[in-house]
Amino acid sequence: MQQEQGGKSDTEVTWEDQQNINKFGRLNNRLHELLDEIKTAKETNDNLEDASNELILTDEEVIRFQVGEVFVHVPNDEVESRIEEMKEATSTNLEKLEEEKGTILAQMAELKKILYGKFKDSINLEED
Amino acid sequence: MASTSIETMTTTTAERRGIPGAQFVEDVQTYLTQLGLDVNSALAFLQERLQQYKLVEMKLLAQQRDLQAKIPDIEKCLDVVGTLQAKKGTGEALIADFEVSEGIYSRAHLEDADSVCLWLGANVMLEYSCEEATSLLQNNLDNAKASLEVLIADLQFLRDQVTITQVTIARVYNWDVHQRRIRQATAAKDS
Repeated sequence: MQQEQGGKSDTEVTWEDQQNINKFGRLNNRLHELLDEIKTAKETNDNLEDASNELILTDEEVIRFQVGEVFVHVPNDEVESRIEEMKEATSTNLEKLEEEKGTILAQMAELKKILYGKFKDSINLEED
Repeated sequence: MASTSIETMTTTTAERRGIPGAQFVEDVQTYLTQLGLDVNSALAFLQERLQQYKLVEMKLLAQQRDLQAKIPDIEKCLDVVGTLQAKKGTGEALIADFEVSEGIYSRAHLEDADSVCLWLGANVMLEYSCEEATSLLQNNLDNAKASLEVLIADLQFLRDQVTITQVTIARVYNWDVHQRRIRQATAAKDS
């Protein structure tokens, strides 16, 4: 990715262009990390959702709640509030990640415009 | 060897954690004459650099993975100590099922646990009061997070150098192709 191709280009590459290419590369890396993080955050969210649904269905007064490596016996209502807290934390986190993804995509689109504008098809900024 | 002259030329670019900065080439022709290298040896040198960068990148990525695994571990420990502390003074025992061996669980009653033992590594375990344990673990967590941040910055710097080198390789290559075409064109005209 992001390598110049073909020999027909005579366009001078300036330090500014190089910096833009670097920035694009960095953003692209971060984007991939973010996509992974968003995926795990969503999974956590789903798991918590499942857990709270199961909690509603169960008659058990005391729930075995995993803390670290052990299962602590915790009363039903306390587990409920704990799960709610965790759900809230993950969804705020998810929102933050989605927001970052948005800004990164916008910045990348901006850089693409600049770089394609200058190098035309001598540069390739797309994923394989 | 040409590497000495290259070393002096790269002093203009910053260096980070022993990772040399890649030099940005303004003009391929001047770059080659300055180095006194022909196209092929310049490309070979740049490729070698790229390999070195990739090697460092792999090392840093491994470190990053370690740290990223360590952080949730510490958070889990903090969670457990917090749970113990929350039960303390309530007069109730904390009942927990814990794994004795793989797949085998037993039940523990923890009454007014004042202290926990922390595995410090190197076959050493020390007993701490819950407060001390929390502050120690918190401290470890902050340290791990700080190192991760530094590591990510290092990786970014490294990746910039990789990108610069890749672009330079492409440009040296393109320049060479271009030069050959010019030579061919003039040769065709002469004959």
